[in-house]
Amino acid sequence: MTETEMDTTTRNTNAEEILRVSGLSTRFFTQEGQVNAVSDLDLRIERGEVFGIVGESGSGKSVTARSLMDLIEPPGEITEGKIEYNDPDLADAVRDDYPQAVDGEYVDLLEVPADVRESLRGTSFSMIFQDPESSFNPTLTVGEQLAEAVEVQRRASARPRSTRAKTQDYTLASFALSTVLPSREYVSEESRERAIELLEMVGIPDPVERADEYPHEYSGGMLQRAMIAQALAGEPDVLVADEPTTALDVTIQAQILDLLAEIQEETGMTIVLITHNLGVIARMCDRVGVMYAGEIVERGTLEDVFDDHVHPYTEGLLGSIPDLEGARGRLQPIPGNVPSLLDSEMEDRCYFADRCPNAMEDCLDHPPEYDADGSADHEVRCVLAERDYEESRALPEGYFGETERPAADKHADPDRTEEDVQPERAEQPVDDSGGDRL
Amino acid sequence: MSLGKFLVRRILQGIFVIWGAITIMFGLRAVSPGDPANLMLAEGATQELVEQVRREEGLDQPIYVQYFDYLQGIVTGDFGYSWQSNREVEAMVIERIPATIELAVAATIVAIVIAIPLGVISATRRNQPSDYGATLFSLLGISTPNFWLGLMLILVLGVWTGVFPTGRRPVGLGEAAMTFAQTGSPGDLFTWLRYITLPALTLGTYFTALITRLTRSGMIDELGKPYVTASRAKGLPNVLVRYKHVLRNTMIPIITVLGLQMGTLMGGAVITETVFNWPGLGLRLIDALDARDWPLMQGIILFIAVAFVVINIVVDGLYSYLNPQVRE
Repeated sequence: MTETEMDTTTRNTNAEEILRVSGLSTRFFTQEGQVNAVSDLDLRIERGEVFGIVGESGSGKSVTARSLMDLIEPPGEITEGKIEYNDPDLADAVRDDYPQAVDGEYVDLLEVPADVRESLRGTSFSMIFQDPESSFNPTLTVGEQLAEAVEVQRRASARPRSTRAKTQDYTLASFALSTVLPSREYVSEESRERAIELLEMVGIPDPVERADEYPHEYSGGMLQRAMIAQALAGEPDVLVADEPTTALDVTIQAQILDLLAEIQEETGMTIVLITHNLGVIARMCDRVGVMYAGEIVERGTLEDVFDDHVHPYTEGLLGSIPDLEGARGRLQPIPGNVPSLLDSEMEDRCYFADRCPNAMEDCLDHPPEYDADGSADHEVRCVLAERDYEESRALPEGYFGETERPAADKHADPDRTEEDVQPERAEQPVDDSGGDRL
Repeated sequence: MSLGKFLVRRILQGIFVIWGAITIMFGLRAVSPGDPANLMLAEGATQELVEQVRREEGLDQPIYVQYFDYLQGIVTGDFGYSWQSNREVEAMVIERIPATIELAVAATIVAIVIAIPLGVISATRRNQPSDYGATLFSLLGISTPNFWLGLMLILVLGVWTGVFPTGRRPVGLGEAAMTFAQTGSPGDLFTWLRYITLPALTLGTYFTALITRLTRSGMIDELGKPYVTASRAKGLPNVLVRYKHVLRNTMIPIITVLGLQMGTLMGGAVITETVFNWPGLGLRLIDALDARDWPLMQGIILFIAVAFVVINIVVDGLYSYLNPQVRE
């Protein structure tokens, strides 16, 4: 572990890392027990890059995204780790009060109070969600909701150094007053006008009329554009996009990705793109992390992961993409189920071993991250990076017993309810690379 | 659907409901035992007198003739005369409406003022002592019978401590307001307020408990929706997420419930009005029932049906105003 850390710090001296996540663990304390949704996760995200996180449902992608945004809610909790954000202004502002949180220009967001983290939302970090239809309030106009996001930014830039959460400035009394006096409303006219500009910017026709419409009057693709506009309202440094195209039609998916790419090019914003769709990754990302069972099992540049991958899970994900050009024959699903993330059921081994075609005795120890061939960023959590597969050391078939285990990891995905889990389980074996729908 | 179409449809439906209520009441009267003429006359009246009354009231006609006569009367605004007091039913109903509305509105205000903050606290501090307290309160409120609660309030706050008066109120809101407007003395208004407090608390307790539960569960439901996370993600202050977004959406179904409760209360809270001797429709209904004063009973039930239908239409209109998804 320490070896890897040293590695990364010495390697990336030229490119500035905007976000350094180390040893992040997010757990859910449910009645069934402790669920390790994210365990000991390291991420280095460079300013201006598009970093992709790919994995099956329940691999901890969404929880990772929400951990970055500090949107984990009980019974979930970030139990360990650091999320260091490079922002010299913020570092100066909190240095006196929380010296332990500051390391040069970096601030460990988990060491500062929640209201400081909250003050970064919208203006430093912003997020796009999977399902645009449910991510807008159905009873307020789209324009009003966008204007709220603009107002957050306006108020924040009115006092740039303040790390006080907006919550403290905006109390219940202010809200009560605003219901009586229209002039005391949170959202100003200027913000409403800016919201219309934003709608226009993301390609919504007739933005003036559209701003006064409600979410249900928009199509899914339009609404996702509006959500992107909303996320851009605060001119954030980092945009976390959690499955931004999953709920959309295939043709619309491409448009949304183009829009994101365009905006990224214009603003130089850093994007953390979370998806189960390797096609999206290939199209958008500079670097990729493959997640499995709450950890990153393989990471590197696009070439590392697509062409020089080492981990059999990455291989499996790529094998389940339909190849329209080559005659590769039938899709190769990964056998078995997403593993249980219940702490009591997680053994200290490679979590993929029970589904792995190349499982060996070595896999009974939890592997560290090894350097792998390819770019300097290429790392993999698999013994195959160090030694070749040997038939003689292979684990006997059925070593882990019945591989069909109950998917007790439903808590790993905060949006997933019990009902969602059932059909998904029935649908196994895995097709959840999502196919290459692009 | 346009507002006009909506109104026309709902009003036609409403007329049908009211007609149904009239017909059922008439049917009940027809099958109930006892000769109305005997009820109207003193004991020992001569047979001729009874026959005369029967003719005058049209009771010697076949039942369908009586039914259409009654319907015709209602359409032309003639609701008949009370058998007991021989006064016009219309006047007897109208004079009791203000007291009933005052009590219904007061009870609803009690419910809103207490229940919504309590529900919000409960939902936002889930599984903490304040939540348990609110839950206990609402369980008690829902399961306490009104007559008992009313009697206890009279006993403790009225008789023992004398904080609030007991007995029939001396002045209604209308008169009190008139006095205030004319003389500038708010004395009558205070008297009115002191008299209405205990009945309003009694009647309001059940609704308070109910609305607390609804607010709590509705708000917990709303808080779990993705748009709440999305609002937090865009940096919106918590107060706005909680009240401008979540509470507002929670209130939409609750307003429907409140409206329907108001409809129920329009019929007069029979038990509460009886316990407090409150001069509303409920008390008059009980009196009419005791005396088997059918025309008065029918008149009161007709008013209840009309009030219920009107309030329902208003609530539906309000609901579609508040919820843009059903607006067009």
